[in-house]
Amino acid sequence: MAIQDFHKNRHYVIRVIFIASFAILLFKAIQIQLVDSTYQDRARTTAIEKVIDYPSRGMIYDRKGRLLVNNNAIYDLNCTYNLVDPKMDTTHFCKLLNIDKATFNKLINKNFRSARYSRSVPFTFLSKISDRTFARFQESMYEFPGFSIQIKNVRGYPYRNSPHVLGYLSEVNKKQIESNPTVYKTGDFIGSTGLERTYEKDLRGSKGVRYLLKDNLGRAVGSYKNGSKDTVAVSGKDIVSTLDVELQQLAEDLLANKSGSIIAIEPATGEILSYVSSPTYDPNLLTINRNRGAAYAQLLGDTLKKPFLNRGVQAKYPPGSIFKTVVSLIALQDGVMKANTGMSCKGAYYYNGSSWGCHQHATPYNLEIALEHSCNTYYFTTLRNIVDQFGFYEPHRGLTAFNKRVADFGLGKPLGADISNEGSGNIPTPEYYDQLYPKDEGSWKSPTIMSIGIGQGEIEMTTLQMANLAAIMANRGHYYTPHLVKAFVDGSVIPDKFRIKRSVNIDREHFEPIVEGMSRAVKFGTGNTAYLKDIEICGKTGTSQNRGKDHSVFFAFAPRENPSIAIAVYVENGGWGSTFGAPMASLMIEQYIKGELDEKRLTLKERLSREDLLEVKEP
Amino acid sequence: MIYAVGYNDEISAGPFDLNTNAGKQALFIGLSFVTIIVCLLIDSNFWQTFGLLVFGITILLLIGVLIFGVTVKGANSWYRIAGFTIQPSEFAKFGTAVAISGFLSRYNTSMDDIRSVLIAMGMFLLPMFLILLQPDAGSALVFTGFLIVLFRAGLNPMLYIIGISAIVLLILGFIINPLFIVLGLLIIINLIFLTSVQKKLQWGLLLLGATVFAVFLAFVDNVLPALGIQALLVFVSGFTAFQNRKSQLVAQLAGFLVFGALIAFSANYFFNDVMKPHQQDRLNVWLQPSKCDPKGALYNVIQSKISIGSGGLRGKGFLQGTLTKLNYVPEQDTDFIFCTIGEEQGFIGVFGIILLYLILLLRIVSIAERQREVFSRNFAYCVASVLFVHIFINIGMTMGLMPIIGIPLPFISSGGSSILGFSLMIGVLLKLDSVRMNRARR
Repeated sequence: MAIQDFHKNRHYVIRVIFIASFAILLFKAIQIQLVDSTYQDRARTTAIEKVIDYPSRGMIYDRKGRLLVNNNAIYDLNCTYNLVDPKMDTTHFCKLLNIDKATFNKLINKNFRSARYSRSVPFTFLSKISDRTFARFQESMYEFPGFSIQIKNVRGYPYRNSPHVLGYLSEVNKKQIESNPTVYKTGDFIGSTGLERTYEKDLRGSKGVRYLLKDNLGRAVGSYKNGSKDTVAVSGKDIVSTLDVELQQLAEDLLANKSGSIIAIEPATGEILSYVSSPTYDPNLLTINRNRGAAYAQLLGDTLKKPFLNRGVQAKYPPGSIFKTVVSLIALQDGVMKANTGMSCKGAYYYNGSSWGCHQHATPYNLEIALEHSCNTYYFTTLRNIVDQFGFYEPHRGLTAFNKRVADFGLGKPLGADISNEGSGNIPTPEYYDQLYPKDEGSWKSPTIMSIGIGQGEIEMTTLQMANLAAIMANRGHYYTPHLVKAFVDGSVIPDKFRIKRSVNIDREHFEPIVEGMSRAVKFGTGNTAYLKDIEICGKTGTSQNRGKDHSVFFAFAPRENPSIAIAVYVENGGWGSTFGAPMASLMIEQYIKGELDEKRLTLKERLSREDLLEVKEP
Repeated sequence: MIYAVGYNDEISAGPFDLNTNAGKQALFIGLSFVTIIVCLLIDSNFWQTFGLLVFGITILLLIGVLIFGVTVKGANSWYRIAGFTIQPSEFAKFGTAVAISGFLSRYNTSMDDIRSVLIAMGMFLLPMFLILLQPDAGSALVFTGFLIVLFRAGLNPMLYIIGISAIVLLILGFIINPLFIVLGLLIIINLIFLTSVQKKLQWGLLLLGATVFAVFLAFVDNVLPALGIQALLVFVSGFTAFQNRKSQLVAQLAGFLVFGALIAFSANYFFNDVMKPHQQDRLNVWLQPSKCDPKGALYNVIQSKISIGSGGLRGKGFLQGTLTKLNYVPEQDTDFIFCTIGEEQGFIGVFGIILLYLILLLRIVSIAERQREVFSRNFAYCVASVLFVHIFINIGMTMGLMPIIGIPLPFISSGGSSILGFSLMIGVLLKLDSVRMNRARR
């Protein structure tokens, strides 16, 4: 027998120690495997990288299929710190990318202690590299492991015009990300103005997502679950816009060095054939690249030209005499006058001892002649007749009835076109005049407000509304909401609101005298400078009074029967409507209908585009 | 034979993630069977007789490796022979086991005899010291397992209590202001006085109130006044106790206080002023992870815990572990192999492995207790103890319970020396057990 064993019972202690120790291990395993789910979440984010594939943004064509907006590649250089060769030739690298050593060191040594960066997760080393720089770099890229390229699309504009229509892209801001977190991530681009903004949803397409398995050094080693959770990037829809790029170019030429806008609409559809706001700028300046910030600041800082102001919809002006057509139609519809109503004009309108001027012209013994010569007296009277139709002491009722009809013409509120920031113009209401002329100061009556009969005073419109008026005249009583999108290339339909025929609630018969008046105005009257031998243009000049030089206004449609184009031209400080508005409109009409300008007319075009009105500033 | 079965089961869990080393590992598994068979053939008295010789050879190997060994990952722990690397520290565990078992089975060895205790301790402290020189802290730590054997052989439990208390104080001293530790010691002493000397109710209430007040002061960062109050109370209580003829208790508690404070202060000083930052990091990773850089010192533990935690209840399936397969977890075929099990087999796998190990250990304890030979019993305890330290520290380390120390998981981690070393132990144990009746009759 061996030595006496005095400590036999100690094996219990040892067993208890073993069991207790292993119980501790089990409890810890329960805690991290079953109770605490953070480990499972973290495992998911550690080894699986979500790679975003950017879709190509939809392109924009003009109505004849010419490419207005395309995509150019721009490159972001990503870097995975762990994969970078510490012995790489940094001098060569910096030279290829046009950066200096100090910049290189700053860019590569991120704060890896912060949660934003990791040595094994790619970060953006240099963004917005141009394709030329990239092409040079790409040849040597194999020398620099750890660097990879992410392609993004930015916009290019082959025709260098129409910035106000097409709009530009910007990086999404915080608010946009927050309101749409599933779609946008920091660094994404979003349509900021114009078509880019209005049709952002159609143009942007949808991103694709790939889940990659990454090993501890950040190398991709395969797809997660064999790609079953991946989605493919879907390109944005291509848009065929309603614009005619030749018209755009012509309009921009005509408005060179002038403030104002030219808007042309196809009356039968409401498609905007041309939309130019001047002064304008080359949209390529605002494409996303490394010089964009400076270009943007310069354009924004140009307080003289204000190139960012989209004058076609954001500037509102007194329409001047072109509004006489609307007054005529309302008067005829309300029966306060007839087409053959004649009046006498003694060169001014006299009331209560005051006089409001007109100009020398033939006696307006009917509506057509009044329009032809744009007789002010005739329209002061007509407006008073409308406002006073319920009696001289009931101007509220009269004006309200008038405004209701005016609203039918799409005035006083935004038309709802697909142009961002569309203004509403201004149609003065009875309440407005009550405030302007309080009761204790004698209130207001029809003579007080009769200047709106000639489109002056408080009434204001956007140029788009004027162009739409021309379309209404061309259609003899209806319009389609003007719009810039003709079709989507994939066949999806344009929004319903652009396909609804909107009536202005004026009988068709009442349009004939107006159309005749407009035709005569071009043939024999104030709009004579718009006259074309072989196209019958119906137009009306306006000269909208201004504190500085008057604004030149003209609106027209052509040809008289089956009109194909309706147009409004507004040239700030251009003087008479016949000086700039009418000839510009005729050139536009000629270009659109004939496809080119007659050689003899080129001098007119040259002369108009050389005029510089920007020097003439309001006092 | 149940442990052999258990052994085989666990071997089959081996190739989970050993793609790169799977061939070598298979070879070693084969070799380990050969080893066991050879052990069964060797006479059962061989090891007891030549225990000291085996021990001497392993010690020479340990010295030799410091001179002739190859350095891998900063540790000079390997011999390179014909393409294979051999780690002598794995065999030193066996050598120490036979030597200590042999020494403890001598008639004149007694754990009540200070000389015997010192010799026994020296037998595992010597290889431990040599291994620390490599340096390989993990393998060295395994030798502390022999303290369990000495405990079973009769070493005074009070030594263990004092030792564990000292270690606890030491660890606390690393991370806590030593003044707080002294305050804690004073409170403990007061409570002892309260229960053993001051039996009057009002005294008790006064002491209790003052203690609560002191704890409160300490919490609002007024540790010095709190210390003052407690020290005064201890002094008064101690004086009373002295008058009550309990001077022995007073002396013991005074010693407790002085040594405790000494350990706390020196640990604190050592940690803050002597240790290098990377050494501090190692302890911080274990003791106060919130102070560590998650991408630096803490990286291994975090990835290890994430991979085990992500396994959930049922795991991701065989070879489906993303974090382990993608190399987020370091050393996953050796020290961190448990992560692969945790991630791929989930809690079910973890539970199974831990349970199997526990059964194995308890079985070895049972085998130990049925031996009639002291040598056999002690040897069985050596095997159990070494296995226990390996398993507990390895698994504990992957889950953040233990500091990160390079130490393989027995029978699962890859590594030829490790598996051969354990096979040797198991084989010898099987042989000893199989002949226990004969040896008893001898």
